[in-house]
Amino acid sequence: MLLNFIVSIRICLFIFLAFVASPHLGAATPEEARKILADSAVEEDATKQIAFILKLAGVNDPVVQQGVTAWRQGGLFLYETNSLKQPFFLDTAAQTDGKARAIKVVDGKPIQGGDGKDLIVNVADFTPVDTNSKLRKALKTVLDLFALSDPNPKIRRDAVTKLGQEQNPEYLPYFEARVVLESDPESVRALTEAIAITKVATTTGADQIAAINELKRMTSITSLALLQEMEKAERKNPKLTPDAKKALGSAIFAIEEHIRRGNLVGTAFRGVSSAAVLLIAALGLAITFGLMGVINMAHGEVMTVGAYTAFMTQNLFAKWFGSSGTGFDMYFIAALLLSFFTGGIMGLVMERLVIRFLYKRPLESLLATWGVSLVLQQLFRQVFGSANVQVNSPSWMSGSFIVSDVLFAYNRLFVIGFGIATVIGTYLLLTKTSLGLQIRAVMQNRTMASCIGVRTDRINMLTFGFGSGLAGMAGACLSQIGNVGPGLGQLHIVDCFMVVVLGGVGNLVGTVMAAFGVGVTDQILQPWLGAVMGKICVLVGIILFLQWRPAGLFASRGRSLED
Amino acid sequence: MAACRVVRLTRTKLGRLIMGLSLSKRELLLVCLVSFVGLVLLPCLNAFVPPDSFFHVSNFSITLCGKYLCYAVLALGVNILWGYTGLLSLGQCLFFSLGGYALGMYLMLKIGNLGQYKADIPDFMVFLEFPKRFPETGGLPPHWIPFKNFWFATIAVLVVPALSALVFGFLAFRSRIKGVYFSILSQALTYAAMLLFFRNDFTFGGNNGLTDFKFILGYDVNSNTTKRTLYIASGVLLLGVYLLCRWLTQTKFGLIQRAIRDSENRVLFSGYATVHFKLFVFVLSSMICALGGALFVPQVGIINPSEMAPDKSLEAVVWCAVGGRASLVGPIIGAISVNALKSYATRAFAEQWLYILGGMFVFVVLFMPKGIVGLPAQFAEWRGKQQRHKASVSAPTPPADEKVNDTAIISSK
Amino acid sequence: MKNMFKSILAALAVTLVTLSTMAAETVKVGVLHSLSGTMAISETSLKDILLFTFDEINKSGGVLGKMIEPVVVDPASNWPLFAEKARQLLDKDKVSVVFGCWTSVSRKSVLPVFEQLNGLLFYPVQYEGEELSKNIFYTAESVNQQAVPAVDYMLGEGKKKFYLLGSDYVYPRTTNKILKQYLKSKGIPDEDIEEIYTPFGHTDYQTIVAAIKKFAAGGKATVISTLNGDTNVPFFKEFANAGLTSENCPVVSFSISEDEFRGLPAKELAGHLGCWTYFMSLKTAENAKFVGDFNTWLKEPKVTGVDYKVSGIDTKGRVTCSPMNLSRMGVYLWKQAVEKAGSFDVDKVRVALIGQKFKGPAGEVTMQDNHHLINNVFIGETLPTGQFKIVKALGPVAGEPFSSKFLTAGK
Repeated sequence: MLLNFIVSIRICLFIFLAFVASPHLGAATPEEARKILADSAVEEDATKQIAFILKLAGVNDPVVQQGVTAWRQGGLFLYETNSLKQPFFLDTAAQTDGKARAIKVVDGKPIQGGDGKDLIVNVADFTPVDTNSKLRKALKTVLDLFALSDPNPKIRRDAVTKLGQEQNPEYLPYFEARVVLESDPESVRALTEAIAITKVATTTGADQIAAINELKRMTSITSLALLQEMEKAERKNPKLTPDAKKALGSAIFAIEEHIRRGNLVGTAFRGVSSAAVLLIAALGLAITFGLMGVINMAHGEVMTVGAYTAFMTQNLFAKWFGSSGTGFDMYFIAALLLSFFTGGIMGLVMERLVIRFLYKRPLESLLATWGVSLVLQQLFRQVFGSANVQVNSPSWMSGSFIVSDVLFAYNRLFVIGFGIATVIGTYLLLTKTSLGLQIRAVMQNRTMASCIGVRTDRINMLTFGFGSGLAGMAGACLSQIGNVGPGLGQLHIVDCFMVVVLGGVGNLVGTVMAAFGVGVTDQILQPWLGAVMGKICVLVGIILFLQWRPAGLFASRGRSLED
Repeated sequence: MAACRVVRLTRTKLGRLIMGLSLSKRELLLVCLVSFVGLVLLPCLNAFVPPDSFFHVSNFSITLCGKYLCYAVLALGVNILWGYTGLLSLGQCLFFSLGGYALGMYLMLKIGNLGQYKADIPDFMVFLEFPKRFPETGGLPPHWIPFKNFWFATIAVLVVPALSALVFGFLAFRSRIKGVYFSILSQALTYAAMLLFFRNDFTFGGNNGLTDFKFILGYDVNSNTTKRTLYIASGVLLLGVYLLCRWLTQTKFGLIQRAIRDSENRVLFSGYATVHFKLFVFVLSSMICALGGALFVPQVGIINPSEMAPDKSLEAVVWCAVGGRASLVGPIIGAISVNALKSYATRAFAEQWLYILGGMFVFVVLFMPKGIVGLPAQFAEWRGKQQRHKASVSAPTPPADEKVNDTAIISSK
Repeated sequence: MKNMFKSILAALAVTLVTLSTMAAETVKVGVLHSLSGTMAISETSLKDILLFTFDEINKSGGVLGKMIEPVVVDPASNWPLFAEKARQLLDKDKVSVVFGCWTSVSRKSVLPVFEQLNGLLFYPVQYEGEELSKNIFYTAESVNQQAVPAVDYMLGEGKKKFYLLGSDYVYPRTTNKILKQYLKSKGIPDEDIEEIYTPFGHTDYQTIVAAIKKFAAGGKATVISTLNGDTNVPFFKEFANAGLTSENCPVVSFSISEDEFRGLPAKELAGHLGCWTYFMSLKTAENAKFVGDFNTWLKEPKVTGVDYKVSGIDTKGRVTCSPMNLSRMGVYLWKQAVEKAGSFDVDKVRVALIGQKFKGPAGEVTMQDNHHLINNVFIGETLPTGQFKIVKALGPVAGEPFSSKFLTAGK
């Protein structure tokens, strides 16, 4: 305990010293600041490095800002000539396939080679200047203070929230100066919140009560933990005025109430998004199993093929466009299309070689396709290695946005949108095209369809290919939220079958409703029962539900008996 | 001498049984021969022939065969359900494991204080702090206590799986869940049970399951004599189950059973309560599987939830398909041959054996619809076709209607 | 089919011939790692490193003048099959020693076999302890060599709230139980420790990450993760997308080593922590040689001196990691003990093993009489390159399997 205390005191002291060292905040000239940054990059002792860096707070110089940013992201390198270490970062403007001009931290000019031309360096040849968590924290603090005046409001907002958490009265002048200039409403909110949070901890009396009430008005979740801590400390060691205490209690209550409401929306969103994942994974199966009656145990492996397609596309795009930027980000669109084809081709091959012999023996198709799935899994292991492979999300699918403290992740939104789009697409294909008409005809009565001239063999092949193509796309989609490895398919196969059976075999609407029901129920149960019991309850629930509706949610009603 | 007496005894008992079984002479001879080799000859070769002799059967082989025999019992359990009643359950390994757990609990309690902690309760209960959870029993959860008795464990081996099968089967058959629905549902059931048993709180050892057994009925469970005895017990069990199934399929009950398989509605319309028939077969099958599981556990030395994984049950179904379902010998041959292949291939082709196994499943389903036991008939049919083809070349006649016997098993829409 | 049959026959004939000519100069050693099924993802690398080590030893003259002949079997992530394969190795193949197992349940499954047939097993993967068999040597990290130092480090970093997240099986449950006791002894109140489990193969971490985000709002929280390999990807993707980073809520993972890292989105993991007894980035001469030699070997994998065809090696982007290093340490410790005992006899080797020292890539290790190693512990931060940067070297820690002993000793 004592040790922790000393450490935190030391950190505070550093920050304090850093401010004292520079008489006016941000008064170091750009040249001095660049020198300080260059020195700290070559410094070996991490503690001294932190001290150096904190001196940079508030400096307004693009080179220093770029340098610190690069450092934090592991993009600051050392150029060593004649035992002289020259820190540099890469010129972002002229970067092609890992090669770029090297910009010196000391003067912001490119390093020049022996021939007087700008030196083009290959990133792979240099190791970045090390960082550790404390150093990065210091870098982040400095960057946050830079960021208070960043042109991007989102960056300003994050910086303010972060700095506010520290409850450091030294920052108050920055906040107050900024809040006057600020035009972005969200940032104003963040600044007011940060000011209030800082004041709650550092002022007393009326100011404190005003700050608490401010937080209550804003229903500030970020402050909840701090307020609760205050209340706890208060119980042990009362020092607040009765008014302040009352204000504190009511603020905590109001914020908790707000969280509860947020949780409701959050759960709904999470439910819909896991429903979308289930739906995307099960839709292909709804076609092959639901419409065609083929129990394809290798469905999961077709998804794996799609996921590996995404992996390969990503590697290709990284080769062509470098591993970031718009070019690379487009890989996922290409991957989705390609995975439809790879999955589809996979399905066609399987249909031709195995499944077409088994249309009359659906339960045996289960056994044969299980054999296929074993073979495929081992094949993946031999081709791609038994370890998982790395699939990086494009930048437009990483991150999230927040509305009224509820988090909406971009990849989840994409999955929901994609799920809706594929369902609509499939529906249109089945109902509005002549192919769809033929498909339905063959599925309803194969012999009759054949009699009136439908080429059932070809339709079977196409339908299975389409279902497998959907599975391939599902695999590509799953690569963005889960792992990609030989066992990917096995993770989803049981769930997929459950969804299709629950929805009623042969009914797309049923599948959609079932996915929705299972996803939402699972997310509702999870916080109460934990993930394991939640899953068990959903499974048992499905079994019991089918007692009530033995043929699923939307059973196709007919007069004919099954046999 | 002793062996002779055993044979004579078996023969008289068998003699009495033949009446009810109406075994043909050839079949009787075959069963006797196989039982003699399996139950008498092999154990004798293991026990009395010196290890360096060519005829010696190693302890390893005996244990391995014991395991195969348990799998064969499981396959028979799957088969009377699938091959004879047309119910494809993908959850029979749940009952196999339940049987295993029931006996495993007894074995666990017989470790006594020889575990890692030298405590009176099983090791996992010590480090999960059960003594705090169940202080009044010294850490043993109340439902574990009766398992100190072998007879209770034996009853539990039969009753627990039977009850769970009864409940699930009642629910499923009452609402006329059949075909694929039944398969998928049984798969969900075993999957849910697996997740449940994985939980440490569920008091059955979590992921590690029950293991490190020491004694069974006072004998060292790992000694060669015990292993041999367990092997013989598995063989006797298999023989018993075989004869039971054989007898059952001969009766009127067996006839209705197959009628349900071929057309349930017609049986229903004829005034039979098919639900009761199906329920009975399901419960019987679960008990057979559980017996297999109970003997499996002391021989392999571990039971854990991954035995309930859906693939395991699927594998058991594949054994039946490979050996030939809708016959009683088929599943036995299938279970033993597939597992023997697996044992061999995982050593000889450690990296490629899945190709062999998976490829074989596909091949069997596509080209050997009646499995290994159906091969002679298939071959004869092929020969017949060849001859007919030759005949038809000389005198063209319309080809005979190709009859697929087993399509009726699967209620296709 | 015919061709395959022919090749099988040919292979059998070749092995028979070579066996008869070489039987005198080789010693059989078992490799018991799953090459298929769910655990293949981790265990395949250990098989590779073992073959590499055998090659290394054979090149320098073998053990007691005998070449190591590997017997590789595939227990296929199937626990009863593990027991069967162990019995096969000991009873049929008569191997002198077995290196293998990854999961605790596989070790528990083979333990009675090794005890009955008096075999020798080296177990290389961090585990929950609470076990000691005279026939097993645990080169693996015990809980006091991994979890406890990591938590100590986080306490030193000023973290006050701990979110213990694990897959629902014995290792996480036991580790977290020990950690909870340990944290309480360090003055962390119950309400600041959260303990959550997810099933194997769980893919949906939305709810849990949302809960962590609330838990970590004050900035004093850390996640101690014992999730198993496969579920880490969905967890970390969700984690990063929720705006959580190593700065506002670091995650300490006990089951992510460099090898697992190959399948994880490294960019999203930068700055999180790991605690192992070896990192590939260690700068020692032994490690440089180890990593270099392994990479050279991968180009042309073979086992010198014996007729064994190495196959199924993945050569792309290979790394070394702690379980791999500990596997290799086991082989060397066994070699030294055999040489000290002058015999392959299990009872003699077992005695000779106690007190064996070996200077490996991560410094010297010593086999204690509790069958666990004294080993150097390091804490590393993940880098976007998929490597770890060592932030703290804790020096040698004596492995202790039974938590009751080190928990009372720590107080």
